[in-house]
Amino acid sequence: MEASAASSSRPLSAQNVEALFDSVEAFLFDCDGVIWKGDKLIEGVPQTLEMLRSRGKKLVFVTNNSTKSRKSYAKKFQMLGVTVSEEEIFCSSFAAAMYLKSIDFPQEKKVYVIGEEGILEELELAGFTGLGGPVGAVVVGLDQYINYYKLQYAILCIRENPGCLFIATNRDAVGHMTDLQEWPGAGCMVAAVCGSTQKEPVVVGKPSTFLMDFLLKRFQIDTSKMCMVGDRLDTDILFGQNAGCKTLLVLSGVTTLSGLHDPSNNIHPDYYTNQVSDLLELLGS
Amino acid sequence: MLSSGKISHSILSLSPPFFTNSSSRFLGQSRKISFLGIQNPFYSAATARKSWNSRMSISPAVNFSVRASAQQLKNADELIDSVETFIFDCDGVIWKGDSLIDGVPETLDMLRSRGKRLVFVTNNSTKSRKQYGKKFESLGLSVNEEEIFASSFAAAAYLKSINFPKDKKVYVIGEDGILKELELAGFQYLGGPEDGEKKIELKPGFLMEHDESVGAVVVGFDRYFNYYKIQYGTLCIRENPGCLFIATNRDAVTHLTDAQEWAGGGSMVGAIFGSTKQEPLVVGKPSTFMMDYLSNKFGILKSQICMVGDRLDTDILFGQNGGCKTLLVLSGVTSLSMLQSPNNSIQPDFYTNKISDFLSLKAATV
Repeated sequence: MEASAASSSRPLSAQNVEALFDSVEAFLFDCDGVIWKGDKLIEGVPQTLEMLRSRGKKLVFVTNNSTKSRKSYAKKFQMLGVTVSEEEIFCSSFAAAMYLKSIDFPQEKKVYVIGEEGILEELELAGFTGLGGPVGAVVVGLDQYINYYKLQYAILCIRENPGCLFIATNRDAVGHMTDLQEWPGAGCMVAAVCGSTQKEPVVVGKPSTFLMDFLLKRFQIDTSKMCMVGDRLDTDILFGQNAGCKTLLVLSGVTTLSGLHDPSNNIHPDYYTNQVSDLLELLGS
Repeated sequence: MLSSGKISHSILSLSPPFFTNSSSRFLGQSRKISFLGIQNPFYSAATARKSWNSRMSISPAVNFSVRASAQQLKNADELIDSVETFIFDCDGVIWKGDSLIDGVPETLDMLRSRGKRLVFVTNNSTKSRKQYGKKFESLGLSVNEEEIFASSFAAAAYLKSINFPKDKKVYVIGEDGILKELELAGFQYLGGPEDGEKKIELKPGFLMEHDESVGAVVVGFDRYFNYYKIQYGTLCIRENPGCLFIATNRDAVTHLTDAQEWAGGGSMVGAIFGSTKQEPLVVGKPSTFMMDYLSNKFGILKSQICMVGDRLDTDILFGQNGGCKTLLVLSGVTSLSMLQSPNNSIQPDFYTNKISDFLSLKAATV
């Protein structure tokens, strides 16, 4: 779906929200900057999600944040008072493990991880082993404990182990790891490894549509009947567009209105609005 | 004679580097190597191109087909007579780790006795010029501090050249060499190795503060790299208006020890690029900043210079970008098969095994 003019994104309004709502069977939500910021829920979210469920819409959560596994994300939702099943969550840590499964990565080969527990847990669940050697794949995601040792280890594996894979969970530049400010994202760690190996990784998280295949297996819905809701143009919205979904940008996260309208931006969501609870407000009445 | 018409990075062919405005913050070509070589079918190529080239107008497909293949050096005298200055890279040309390469002292002596000026240009920013001077001395070579140009020095010299205000600070993601050179040049700095000890806790209500008077972030090779520094540098670049993002170099690997290659400055710079999505101003090779600085300082014409190095994408490109003659030595990271590989498009004028061939080839032609 090509974006034609700079002003092709429409603000979500009482006039167009019904049409969007009726044409969509599933809403795909990004998490950071859409559902929560750090460990704080964005206001109005639980009520909006409840309303969508009560009106028969399927809910899916697609996040590039690889620090947690699906199980841990389900726990986080629960702690915040929102009921979400593990099966509805598709995080990039899960994507990395699924990618390795999809290419029949041999279970006797190891995976070197620059990242946090989420990746390690998902790898283990899928039957793979992290660390040690001989390493056949390096998976890089957000890692707040990044250091030179890890960089060098990963780089040695990629450069010297024949056929070693270089997989990135995602390449987000920044994210809201805490509620008060943005922090460097996986894009940093991945670029650090690229800077030394001069190789490009296989990216399994958004905007790659790899996760969409898993989504489709689970929910047999045509992608044109899905709406991707996110705060980031170059991951969430692009993911939605690449997969043929409708797209809704929320301004509660990293993207501002001026960022959307900036002449250098050429990713145009179908709709934009301030925050997820606008759906409730505009439809609720 | 083939011209250096390959410079599609036309900005740098025009004039000595100067700070124009913040949107063309491009001091020199940082990398000829295409980062888009391996396309991920899942990732939108358009987005990848956009993020790598968002600030630079580099064409990834620089056309080198005009340049003939490198010739093996046969007549050393002819080359020596045709230039006034030799610029030497250090790692892989003069020394490997802490051991001198065979025949280097005699070669340097011979060149000096023939009235040639010698200059040493290294991308290694861990030491200052003074510290390098000591290394040369310990290896028995008489080299003056004034003849050494490390990328740590280049960063400070660059800031001087743009009259970087003395009341602004520089945040350093890098090692001691950079700190020393900044101090010598009279600039205030923050960061450096001690920030390697700093830890953060990502918890609700935590806000990392940063000094708003930081006007430049200098990033180079840093063994004490960590998330704190990444965030600090990112905050300065993003939130301090006009804050510069300067890279000493973007070398993929470096010879920390003689036994293996280690992740180089390209890693740290890559990380900061990854979070800011801004291209840095590169002051080290292959940017011509140091070349322009040298030629101004010593009053020499670039056509009178021969660049001698072991790396195609930094040393040789540096020489070519500057309009100098170029000689590749095979005593470092590049092998003959790499030079002759169809994937390689950087062709120096000449190649030889090591610099002491100047002596042995010379003897042969007598």
